[in-house]
Amino acid sequence: MRKVLALVRANWLTAASYRFNLVVSLVSLLVMVVPVYFVAGALQPVMARSIQGQGGEYFPFVLVGIITLMFLTTAVTSLPTALGSSIASGTFEALLGTRARLGEIVAGTVGYAFIWTAVRALLLLAVGWMLGVPLVAERSPAALLILALIVLAYFPFGLFAAAGVLAFKTSGSLPAAVLTVSGLLGGVYYPTHVIPSWLQSVSELVPLTYGLRALRAVVLEGGPVGASASDLAILAGFALLLLASSLYVFTLAVRHAKASGTLAQY
Amino acid sequence: MSVVAAGSHTVSPATRLQGAGQAIGLVRLTKRFAVRRGWRAALRHPFQRQWALALEDITCTIAEGEFFGLLGPNGAGKTTLFKVLATLVLPDGGSATVGGYDVVHQARRVRSILAPVITDDRSLYWRLTARENLELYARLQDLAEESARVRVSELLEAVGLADAGRKMVGAFSSGMKQRLLIARALVARPRILLLDEPTRSLDPLSARTFRAFLREEISGRQGCTVLLATHNTEEALELCGRVAVLHQGRLLAVGAAADLSRQMGGERYRLWTRWPIPGSLAALEREGIVGGIVTQPDAEGWARVEMDVAGGLEGAARVIDTLSRAGASVGRFESVPRSLADLIEGIIGRRTQPDA
Repeated sequence: MRKVLALVRANWLTAASYRFNLVVSLVSLLVMVVPVYFVAGALQPVMARSIQGQGGEYFPFVLVGIITLMFLTTAVTSLPTALGSSIASGTFEALLGTRARLGEIVAGTVGYAFIWTAVRALLLLAVGWMLGVPLVAERSPAALLILALIVLAYFPFGLFAAAGVLAFKTSGSLPAAVLTVSGLLGGVYYPTHVIPSWLQSVSELVPLTYGLRALRAVVLEGGPVGASASDLAILAGFALLLLASSLYVFTLAVRHAKASGTLAQY
Repeated sequence: MSVVAAGSHTVSPATRLQGAGQAIGLVRLTKRFAVRRGWRAALRHPFQRQWALALEDITCTIAEGEFFGLLGPNGAGKTTLFKVLATLVLPDGGSATVGGYDVVHQARRVRSILAPVITDDRSLYWRLTARENLELYARLQDLAEESARVRVSELLEAVGLADAGRKMVGAFSSGMKQRLLIARALVARPRILLLDEPTRSLDPLSARTFRAFLREEISGRQGCTVLLATHNTEEALELCGRVAVLHQGRLLAVGAAADLSRQMGGERYRLWTRWPIPGSLAALEREGIVGGIVTQPDAEGWARVEMDVAGGLEGAARVIDTLSRAGASVGRFESVPRSLADLIEGIIGRRTQPDA
């Protein structure tokens, strides 16, 4: 854990050294949420019926979707992006030459990105609360649990993409494809039952569909976690299956890069 | 110690240091890489592969505490060998052990006693300070917070960066970054240090200071086993007790640095004498003491003469003695360092002789 924290600290110090970028990142978030609030207000009469079982208010509905999508983006893109730049700069090889395990290096590499996403999510929630989103502290442990499950179901795509970076020097369009499909069919901006029926069957293959449904049921409806047990079970199944296969593929990719001598190539 | 032309698959006694433990052991180590083919070849024969041998049957041992040089031109396989030892590249055949640990099956143990100095300064975190860089690696090498802080201070002092510890690495000169890379490798007090062309990007003055640091601090005071890869013959001969010559993935020779220079490359000397060239030099050439004489006129009636001298220091002494007895003026007499190309040519020439 000490090694993971040391890497997280180094990444934070690096990010903090780009002060302008850090400030812009936070300010842009605030600038983005205001128009969303007004657009959500305008769409409220149209959306009200379709989101009745998920809070009934469109702004909180879409805010939960956006925050979840932020974590999803971090889960899918942070590792391949960081790995790519780490290979290009040579820090990856230097890290592998230390006593740190591969898992610790991976966790330390993405740790800061997740913490920063959490900070941005908290800021969004704070703004949301100021704009009238009802936030109930008692619901946060359950919400965090579901969010963690969603991240666990999506981090494997980051591992697959990172394996691509190691083996083929590109993650291809995997991260973009996963994010686009999940964003459009996972219920980020609208409930999945409003999309055409043939697309609904595709959305059932998207882990986010189950994650967001459960998250909104807990956060916006105040329902117990048990009520979303079937959604959570499917989400956990996705997470387990994808984690096992992606870890295997990532390990294979590292081995391939070491065997072909391409660990430091980009 | 005599020089051993490598190539046999048994470890020659001459490659061992008597009475010292083994730091590194290589037995028939082989590594090949797939050659990247053009589109046409890849489409015509998609499953065919071409291979380039990076290391071929390397067998050698390095004793604890040795300062061992790995001499070879670009593409000789030095970096590949280092990466195999650092567990960053998997070998295809043979075995490599570091401190008795196998580099494939006990990689983490290997990394606990060996540190590669990655000389690419981009591998540092440029947006962090020197101290922050070292503290990060200290933590990654299992040092507790307080020990890490103390060790980092010690190292910054040792590499002459104590005053620059709080400066961002991006603002460092090449020499400072190089010293920081060394400090980073030393953070966990490794028993074995791998240095891959460490003076490549240093100016001559910094390179000399750095070599003194390696000899006195790293090898001398800290007692590290040092493996130095270089294509600078002078550097290898100056620093290393023993040297191996690697060429096109093959180990051509292993031996004491001075012996290797003398026996494999022969010895070349340069002398300044008054023009015209004394006749006694021609007599020495006929006797086979000197050869390959090249003469060039120099300033103010002096001539510069370069020659191969057989018989080591005895031969050199005989040249001076003969010239002074013949009344020739000798302004200066000095040994000329062999270039790596000469050294390799000498070794290859010797190996191809039937009775060599």
